[in-house]
Amino acid sequence: MTIERVGGSRLAAALIATVVAALCAITPAIANDDAPITADIPALHEEAASAGIDHVYDGPWEYFVGGGVAAFDCNADGRPDLAFAGGERPAALYVNRSPTGGALAFEHRPLGPDGTDLTAVTGLWPVDIDGDRIIDLALTRVGRNLLLRGGPDCTFTPANKAWSFDGGRAWSTGFAATWEAGNAHPTLAVGNYVDRSAPGAPWGTCHDNRLHRPAQATETPDYSEPTTLSPGYCSLSLMFTDWANRGEPALRISNDRHYYRGGQEQLWRLTPDRPPRLYRAADGWRPLKIWGMGIAAADIDGDNHPDYALTSMGDTRIQTLDEDAEEGRPVYTDIAFEIGATAHRPYAGEEIRPSTGWHAEFDDLNNDSLIDLFIAKGNVEAMPDFAAYDPDNLLIGGWDNRFREAGDRAGIALDRRGRGASVVDLNLDGMLDLVVVNRSAPVSLFRNLGVGTPDATRPMGNFLAVRLEQQGGNPFAVGSRIAARIGTRVLTRDITVGGGHGSGELGFVHFGLGTAERAELRIRWPDGDWSHPYRVFANQFVIVERGAPDATYWYPPPDERPPR
Amino acid sequence: MKTYLLPAAVALATIAGAATASADDKTVGVSWSNFQEERWKTDEAAIKKALDAAGAKYISADAQSSAAKQLTDIESLIAQGADALIILAQDSDAIGPAVQQATDEGIPVVGYDRLIENPDVFYITFDNKEVGRMQARAVQEAMPEGNYAFIKGSAADPNADFLFSGQMEVLTEAMDAGKIKNVGEAYTDGWLPANAQKNMEQILTANDNKVDAVVASNDGTAGGVVAALASQGLDGSVPVSGQDGDHAALNRVALGTQTVSVWKDARDLGKNAAEIAVQLADGKAMDEVDGAVKFSGGPKGVEMTSIFLKPVPVTRDNLNVVVDAGWVPLEVVCQGVEKGALALCD
Repeated sequence: MTIERVGGSRLAAALIATVVAALCAITPAIANDDAPITADIPALHEEAASAGIDHVYDGPWEYFVGGGVAAFDCNADGRPDLAFAGGERPAALYVNRSPTGGALAFEHRPLGPDGTDLTAVTGLWPVDIDGDRIIDLALTRVGRNLLLRGGPDCTFTPANKAWSFDGGRAWSTGFAATWEAGNAHPTLAVGNYVDRSAPGAPWGTCHDNRLHRPAQATETPDYSEPTTLSPGYCSLSLMFTDWANRGEPALRISNDRHYYRGGQEQLWRLTPDRPPRLYRAADGWRPLKIWGMGIAAADIDGDNHPDYALTSMGDTRIQTLDEDAEEGRPVYTDIAFEIGATAHRPYAGEEIRPSTGWHAEFDDLNNDSLIDLFIAKGNVEAMPDFAAYDPDNLLIGGWDNRFREAGDRAGIALDRRGRGASVVDLNLDGMLDLVVVNRSAPVSLFRNLGVGTPDATRPMGNFLAVRLEQQGGNPFAVGSRIAARIGTRVLTRDITVGGGHGSGELGFVHFGLGTAERAELRIRWPDGDWSHPYRVFANQFVIVERGAPDATYWYPPPDERPPR
Repeated sequence: MKTYLLPAAVALATIAGAATASADDKTVGVSWSNFQEERWKTDEAAIKKALDAAGAKYISADAQSSAAKQLTDIESLIAQGADALIILAQDSDAIGPAVQQATDEGIPVVGYDRLIENPDVFYITFDNKEVGRMQARAVQEAMPEGNYAFIKGSAADPNADFLFSGQMEVLTEAMDAGKIKNVGEAYTDGWLPANAQKNMEQILTANDNKVDAVVASNDGTAGGVVAALASQGLDGSVPVSGQDGDHAALNRVALGTQTVSVWKDARDLGKNAAEIAVQLADGKAMDEVDGAVKFSGGPKGVEMTSIFLKPVPVTRDNLNVVVDAGWVPLEVVCQGVEKGALALCD
């Protein structure tokens, strides 16, 4: 966004806040701004069964949390394939066979090496660890975590030994990866939950988290010297994020206050070659205690800094960098209420009990160029103080900087306990689809049919899908920021590995462009260098290779287009 | 710094208040965490009634389970001119800033039922430790000697340990004297009756059914205990405690399968909170409130001024109190009670 636009949006937000406050003062009963939604609402059609996906995440107490999905291309056909955690049941791989723009279709394969089953998996994240341009998978488990090296045609081999990665024995639930300055291999962070073997467990017995920095100047990745991140506060989500725009990712950790004692949300500063250091109150960090389940990041207020959605029980938090914070001080303010994004209890059904949030993801599901927020919801198991029927949220971003719920009208208000999820274009039609992993219930797979209802859809706004490539150990340029200028506005997306709840994705990055027919892309590469502008047309898949004079267009394989 | 400044702020507010105020034009703002929950309607009626009697005005806001909304609710109650606030916290950690704003502006805050750990907040709730004592006393009266089982609350809930320590306070002497023997104790996951029943069954099996009395921490767990006893034909002969005044439990008291249900009369809480809010709005210092004590038993150990109301142990002898209070209809209490078994039901 331009400076003018930023000022304008800020002012608008302030005005709205004032008006809301004034309304509150007169009639508290209508304190919420419930103006009807005027934005396009996508028709999301559930078709897991017909698409051939039959998968359930389940198991005892240890699997009340977790339940992730990884969306990434494992056979170089450009289509995102899906890998699911199974908890006590086997993890599963579903290879994407969906015709472009057509009904979703998947082919099931076991995820384990040589066709074996892998159990005890809570979450999975795609990342190219060895820099061979084939995506690998990091799996968190109840027990030993696994790194799986990706091979041709969606094959995977365990690589813990080859990469000297100690999977530990903890109950792991979160993962994130980033390339620290100058490193050929990524730094891996593993988040752990309750230490079940400690005296007094589970109350107040949280595992420490772990940071695996790669050994320097080795050909193959070598994680033989992990660092302990202590104290751990029963984390459920981790994310590397360059919150201060200084080209140095920090590690944000969301923690579950149900189990910790004296804990809070955490932000670790990672300066290359120095031990990690927690930001403290003296740095401006404000203690926040939530039932932290998932983190999502996006710049929603146009101040060029990422804002964070933190899921919890009751209110979802939206944290933005405080306007009055001095440069370099991580002072965050919660704006969820003023932008209508608390999503604190079910929007459908009769429930008045608060809801329970898990995976969160910012993305533009209606291609109107404004970011939306998806939140997977569901009772932990049968917690009596929280809603039992707790449908997932689709909060549509509006031009007044407020979010409005459209989950019921979009068709996603199922009675399932949501956990992990991915918002991703599965059939390469430029409209984001949605896959949700549910505890003790089938995976939900929603195809985005366009604006309207499944029976009567019309086209959405324009889109753009962007993939980055560069030489070296970080071929997919994790840590980059993509800035797409349309008219006077700049839309941004950061390429990250981590966050969410048990879930991650790596591949084409989606932008909704609204009515814009072209966009001007600039890339801030992981080392902080900005690219020159690339002019690209809307409704295209483009690949930007670092240093190349032009972006290249990529076309979905035409032979697999559906018959017209 | 803070301790130096705060009294000054309070003093200023008191002076400002004194200039305009007479006791009967006060406004008391009540911030509910989730007013759609049926239970708070009773509290509200009691608060309104007490405010009416004092000539004070009632305004309120419903946070609808959102801590963020409660933050703005409190700000808006202040903006509407509340002279005192009663806050039923959704998440006492999260609403801290709004509470601080109120106390900084010299607006007294009464923390209602749920602890808001701030030294400038007046805390009113029921005496949970006394609940435990009352449970133990009633059971001990019915069975002064023998094998005791303890069905505790959820290990996740600090109240569970509060209750248990109150129970122990009463029984320790008899236990030391060898009159009472602890033959089994168990936490109840999630306070669920089914879990209480399972635990009770295990204790019965382990003791060859030789259990003479059961101290259960609430009515739900008492229900599970009575079910376990019934399957061994022991219900009615083994005293069982509980709390909450659940309708089913009060019926069990009438039937004789449960000895006591310790009942917290919400009207007491509402009435007292309203009266205290008005007194504080009138400039009374917190420690001048009748019956106020110092309390620092919260998780952070902050010293607060508090009132702990005495609950009522409801037994066969005083079952009429819950009926007279309109808490439960007579026919519900007396369901299945045989003629002549209990005067109240005839």
